[in-house]
Amino acid sequence: MMMVEPVRSLGAFTLLFLSRLGRMGMFLGRTLRGMGQPPGKLRPTLKQIHFIGTKSFFVIGFTASFTGMVLALQGYYTLSQFGSEGLLGSAVAMSLIRELGPVLTALMVTGRAGSAMCAEIGIIRIDEQIDALECMAIDPHSYLVAPRLLAGLVALPLLTAFCDVVGIFGGYVVGVELLGVNPGAYLQGIEISIVWDDVYMGIVKSFIFAFIMIWICTCKGFYAGLDEGSFGPEVVSRATTDAVVLSSVSILIGDYVVTSILL
Amino acid sequence: MNDPNVLEIKGLNSFYGDRQVLFDVRFAVPRRCVTVIMGPSGCGKSTLVRHLIGLYRARPRELFLEGRDMALFRREDMNSYRRRIGVLFQGGALFNSLTLKDNVAVPLRVHTRLAEETISVIVRIKLHQVGLSGFEDYMPSQLSGGMQKRAGLARSLVMDPEILFVDEPSSGLDPITAAGLDNLILELCRTLGVTVVVVTHELDSAFHIADQMVVLDGGRLLAAGTPEAIKNSGEDRVVQFLERRAEAGREDDEAYWRGLLGKGSFKTHGGGET
Repeated sequence: MMMVEPVRSLGAFTLLFLSRLGRMGMFLGRTLRGMGQPPGKLRPTLKQIHFIGTKSFFVIGFTASFTGMVLALQGYYTLSQFGSEGLLGSAVAMSLIRELGPVLTALMVTGRAGSAMCAEIGIIRIDEQIDALECMAIDPHSYLVAPRLLAGLVALPLLTAFCDVVGIFGGYVVGVELLGVNPGAYLQGIEISIVWDDVYMGIVKSFIFAFIMIWICTCKGFYAGLDEGSFGPEVVSRATTDAVVLSSVSILIGDYVVTSILL
Repeated sequence: MNDPNVLEIKGLNSFYGDRQVLFDVRFAVPRRCVTVIMGPSGCGKSTLVRHLIGLYRARPRELFLEGRDMALFRREDMNSYRRRIGVLFQGGALFNSLTLKDNVAVPLRVHTRLAEETISVIVRIKLHQVGLSGFEDYMPSQLSGGMQKRAGLARSLVMDPEILFVDEPSSGLDPITAAGLDNLILELCRTLGVTVVVVTHELDSAFHIADQMVVLDGGRLLAAGTPEAIKNSGEDRVVQFLERRAEAGREDDEAYWRGLLGKGSFKTHGGGET
């Protein structure tokens, strides 16, 4: 008996893991199919772009400017030891465009919009609104999820670009205005060192992170309470926590994988 | 279409995981009649209705729509069935982010190519029908529970369904509004020939509107027939339910104490909450 129990738990865990993974895959498949189905996606997608994108401007700008500032501060003291302060612009821009811009933007948008999205869809689930949609012969994947995924794919790359620019400007303020780096050297360093491949990597990452984040957050909300068989408010809070944690971890893992492939 | 019964339930069993909640339930839903499904809380009424509207899949040869086995329905069959039905959920299930008029207009916007002016006229008619004229631009959160339920009814009627499913129409409503809702259901059935399936445990309302009654208890069919037949039923549990008598005393004191002490199973009537 003692031998059987661990094997049984391992088997149960594996089955559960595979079934959840399969469910997420089917959810994504239905969402992608739902993109081409009625109702029209333009209006709800624009509404979601406003929610995910426009409303995140402030928080992204704030995060980006301080990240750029601290990068400049740290970079300056490291580079000055070798007398290479002139490379500050290139160091700040390179870190932001290739790594920090896409990752920070995705993490901040997960916290601000992904969690809200998961909670909203979770409430729609526990309030029987998803059942109501199905009973009206309206595919909930097409109606609820597809516009959010489209909006994420539009908004996140744009927010990432905004984050990069604000971060570089933050670095400029600290590096040039406070620490006295030559402004021409700062800007020219960026121009010389940043090539298309760096920008390309940032764009690819932001698309992939948007995809991962919206997929996980909407999926967690969509199935809130179904496994527990209960539909109280606590299942929404649990789903939201799971969604934010899983999205953030997946974004960080995804970042490593994409970097290692594209480098 | 000449089939006198729209839906036939021929031995429906339903499970939540390992737990069985419906046991071999058999009855038919006659066309253009009001069928009321009654029973105490947790007896499987809502589960039964979820099977009837296709949210839960039945196993083969258990559930038939006009002679066709619903277990064999493909997505298109299910969608075409769902375009023929209207469902009012217990809480109304309105979309929180849309105004009342947009809520009611959703099925029209998705399934028809009607002009916005036409949609707006239809929506106004339906909202008037349920007594909500003038509330078109309100958000669901600005309305009382009863009003939300009536708006949900307007939405379920907007596609002029052949079959209307109503889950607990009077729960949470004041007696006057509840009676108004009952009359509306009757009117729909008598004048427009809509087949109505109502789930309720409100006895007065049930006897007022029912052409046929189905009584469930612990997931099993206790009785089915006309309201008179149910009234005259000699079955103990039916009489107990109709006379609103509380659960009879514990039959087995020893089992009760064992249950409290966590030794052995607790003896109860009925099934779990669905």
